[in-house]
Amino acid sequence: MGKRVFITGIGIISALGDSVQANRENLVRGKTGIKKAKVLQTRYTEIFPFGEVPYSTEELKNQAGIADVKGISRTEALALIAAKQSIADAGLTDGQVASFDMALLSASTVGGMSLTDQLHDDASMIGPPSDYLASYNVGEHASNLIKRFGIKGLSATFNTACSSSANAIMMGAKLIKSGRCTRAIVGGADALAKYTVNGFNSLQILSPEHCKPFDKNRSGLTLGEGAAYLILESEEVVGNKKIYGEVKGYGNANDAFHASSISDDAIGIIASISGALTSADLPPESIDYINAHGTGTMNNDITEQTGMNAIFKKIPQFQSTKTYTGHTLAAAGAIEAVFSLLTMQNNELYTSLNCNDPIEEFNVSPIKSYKKDQKINNVLSNSFGFGGNCSSLIFSKV
Amino acid sequence: MFIKDLSCISAQETYHNSVFTDGVKDIEDLKIWAQEPDYKDIIPAGMLRRMSKLVRMSVATAGPFMEEHKNLGGVIFGSSNGSVDRSMRFLRQIIQYEEGTLTPTDFVQSTPNCVAGVLALMGNITGYNTTHVNQGLSFESSILDALLLFEEGKVSQLLLGGGDELSEANYNIESQRDLYKEESIATSTLLRSETKGTLPGEGVAMFVVEAEKTKESLAEIIDVDMIHHASKQEVAEKAVQFLNKNGLKPSDIDAVIMGRNGDVRTDNFYDHLQNELFPEQGIIVYKSLTGDYYSVSAVATWLATKVLSGTQLPSECIWKPLNNQPKTILLYNNCEGKQHGFVLMRGVYSSTSSE
Amino acid sequence: MAHEELELKLKTQIIKYLNLMELEPADIKTDAPLFGPDSPIDLDSIDAIELSVLLEREYDLKITDPKQGKKVMASVEKMIEYIVANDKA
Repeated sequence: MGKRVFITGIGIISALGDSVQANRENLVRGKTGIKKAKVLQTRYTEIFPFGEVPYSTEELKNQAGIADVKGISRTEALALIAAKQSIADAGLTDGQVASFDMALLSASTVGGMSLTDQLHDDASMIGPPSDYLASYNVGEHASNLIKRFGIKGLSATFNTACSSSANAIMMGAKLIKSGRCTRAIVGGADALAKYTVNGFNSLQILSPEHCKPFDKNRSGLTLGEGAAYLILESEEVVGNKKIYGEVKGYGNANDAFHASSISDDAIGIIASISGALTSADLPPESIDYINAHGTGTMNNDITEQTGMNAIFKKIPQFQSTKTYTGHTLAAAGAIEAVFSLLTMQNNELYTSLNCNDPIEEFNVSPIKSYKKDQKINNVLSNSFGFGGNCSSLIFSKV
Repeated sequence: MFIKDLSCISAQETYHNSVFTDGVKDIEDLKIWAQEPDYKDIIPAGMLRRMSKLVRMSVATAGPFMEEHKNLGGVIFGSSNGSVDRSMRFLRQIIQYEEGTLTPTDFVQSTPNCVAGVLALMGNITGYNTTHVNQGLSFESSILDALLLFEEGKVSQLLLGGGDELSEANYNIESQRDLYKEESIATSTLLRSETKGTLPGEGVAMFVVEAEKTKESLAEIIDVDMIHHASKQEVAEKAVQFLNKNGLKPSDIDAVIMGRNGDVRTDNFYDHLQNELFPEQGIIVYKSLTGDYYSVSAVATWLATKVLSGTQLPSECIWKPLNNQPKTILLYNNCEGKQHGFVLMRGVYSSTSSE
Repeated sequence: MAHEELELKLKTQIIKYLNLMELEPADIKTDAPLFGPDSPIDLDSIDAIELSVLLEREYDLKITDPKQGKKVMASVEKMIEYIVANDKA
């Protein structure tokens, strides 16, 4: 069976705030972080709203304690802030962090490409080289986390588009289960970038209004940014620490249909959710809440509901927290894992915003208002991405 | 985990394996480009039109496997840069058209997970699918992921690969980072150049790996390990710990495949490991054939499989002569002296022939 | 511009924008559907966006309504009709 894997620390920075507490307060109040971007430099701030972390990169570096370090991308600053929070929250000692038995698994899609204009000039040899030459690479944020924390164990960095950090959590749990490490810091980070804004816009899937997941008249996704990291510990070393939950199950599958959309019959989605249920050894009806991928694109939401409908006799309560943070790409899986754990810890469910006119096909609608005193023992969190990458995680109360 | 089939595109003629019969090409250039096969007979034209160089090299290596090996249960691919040329093309569009209406194909193709996505699509492989971008450990992380997947027992075989493409854009960035030779030198002299920098290369090595040993198994990947930002001594300690964990000591290793890249600033890691732990063993090198890139240890794994399954290596690969036909091989590679990866492999050659 | 001339120009542009390197302009039938199961070259949704970029960059024609796009880009013939009808020159 392998060893049980517990979550003992969480850290997050998103459009909702720069601490777990600030994020939760806004979720409870139903207050979105999506608005007109102020830091992001693109002409599209006039057209599309964004889930922006409302601090300049210099301010973020300051908060991360690296104000004077040159060549830091916004992605890396976000990652460092969230990762530091998670380590402090779990109360890990320097010795534990620097042990051969501590792994770090991260995820990013944008990496240092958040520096879109500098990258263009450096890659074209225009002007003198910038300070950011090393930071463009998508794995550099993780390499620097490893260096700063003095981690000596195993590592991985995923880029499976929008499911990236779900895979980091999954592999961290598997490493612990297999006994290859006893602790892991897992998560992901992505900053808003002119690059991705133009990329998603070229596919015509950015919404001019706040994203409306699961609404019949949804008009696309809203991009966001942020980072979240979780500390995973093996049952062998966890002792009597505070525990947010257990990584109970995980599934990963490929839709094998199209480069940038999911098949109508939701092959990958069904396979990843049922894979998670099987590995958790839980029947579908034991899932109390689904943190959906729910991007707000025409394609995603209907196929996700098709997938849920195929698995669940009665679709559990579900919602999309992307209505608060925007779609944070590689960070989404980890950010939504944090939110999933908060629902269990506080016995509460958050409103899915902006769904006024639900998709009719399956006669269900996402959670309409904040709910207290909920009994939530098992949560399913979905993440799907370009390239057909589908991942599902199940977190359970301990 | 056992390697059942393998294919490689590199600067040498590795795709048809004629590097082992016709010899190694000596290349004198600042960039060591891959020798790509004629794709016409390998990839349907309708698909080829959208493919970046990295994707087409990956499809050319993996494509034939999909015919020959049924039940491929997943795809795991390591690539730090992905289709970097497509990223740059999209970036140039953003600047040139001032964020106007842009064509999406370059954006969709640019992401590293595009390779594993295309392979899944072509082979209708709906199982496990991940892409690792852990810089110089991209392929080592991929091996680790595959080992974990097999341990779960749900998959019996899968595609495992690693590759990166070279383009003007990443050459410009990395050369400004002082990673490459400023002087033009022949690949044959790279490893004894005693100057800073290396030669950038590109390529893809693809494997069919299986959980259990079969008659078709060519070599075994026993385990993988890594360490970051470590001193020479810490790297050697990690190597010993890694071998011990697998019930071995340095003297049990018959040969070491080293990622020496001719950069005088970081080749001392290899010297130290050789002198401290493997003074008697044969040493195999390969970057003088292929150049260096993030996922190049996939080529080392390809080469190790060839040696372990009885192929005679070209003399250019021999840094220090082998004492005998190696049975157990350690692969060690470092990326910029900051990421250190180890892969432990064993032959199945003699044991299968005695069965 | 003569119809044949525009036809050749547009087909050449389609080949360039969609990187249909195996095709010559003559290989694209003017009246054959570009999309769907009956299309000899079977383009997909991303190709449709590429074609709308072509119309915008080469002919200064911006298609905003996807339904209109579907009609306009049904075949080379339909595209020519649209270009001629909206000729801004």
